[in-house]
Amino acid sequence: MSHAFYLWMSYGATAVAVAAEIVLLRMRRAQALARVEEEKDLEAQD
Amino acid sequence: MINFFYFASPSTFYRLAGRLSPWFFALAAILGVAGLYLGLLVAPTDAQQGEVYRVIFIHVPAAWMSMFLYFVMACYGAVSLTFNTRLAAMMARALAPTGAMFTFVALWTGAFWGRPTWGTYWANDARMISELILLFLYFGFMALANAFEDPRRGDRAAALLALIGLVNLPIIYFSVAWWNTLHQGSSVNFRGTSMHRTMLAAMLLMALSFWMYSIGTALTRVRAVILERERRTHWVRELAAPLP
Repeated sequence: MSHAFYLWMSYGATAVAVAAEIVLLRMRRAQALARVEEEKDLEAQD
Repeated sequence: MINFFYFASPSTFYRLAGRLSPWFFALAAILGVAGLYLGLLVAPTDAQQGEVYRVIFIHVPAAWMSMFLYFVMACYGAVSLTFNTRLAAMMARALAPTGAMFTFVALWTGAFWGRPTWGTYWANDARMISELILLFLYFGFMALANAFEDPRRGDRAAALLALIGLVNLPIIYFSVAWWNTLHQGSSVNFRGTSMHRTMLAAMLLMALSFWMYSIGTALTRVRAVILERERRTHWVRELAAPLP
């Protein structure tokens, strides 16, 4: 196997890990805000 | 003088973190581009390993960050246990996933560096096993923090685990000196370095980039943790869009 394969696997996986973390961060924030909204709506209905 | 108690309030820190995190991400991007430029395009080819040595520019900074973030996480855990502060526990929770990510990256890149240079992806070597234990400690911290219905109990249990796991850090760092390992010794230490100046500059730039990225992600994640934990407070309700 050429050295390029090992380099691409290393740099590629790091890029994927960083991108995945940023996507998960945005999703977590959106979920947290949605939960606040949901509870607010439920309280308004009561 | 800065009033740290003022910033220890989740509502104040939420706003401060929101203002600061884009700057840390921008710094991480600038330093990362500079580090990659130096590391991939300017740094000379290694006489023994050829081009594959360039894995060092992510492997070593990721390994440094994996240990440093664990240390900071344990310090926040100690502060939360000692002073019973909510924000310290939230910061510890916010650091754990990024620390786990860097530990995974260090192990993964190490495997893909090991195969062409040592002939194997994995060896039962003291440095590799202690780094793998670090990954399990991060997983354990995250699992324990979320295992209780009362998040404060989760904070305390996870902080205790983080403090116990601190013993693994000197084992990782000194493993190459204490045992006869396949893993090479430190390229950079407090006495100096044997690396070429360009290689060293690229590696330090990448380490700074990872550091800034870690601060950016921790600040962004702690905002989500604050929203989750403080969702019943008045100020969080005001943050959310008003009812029609």
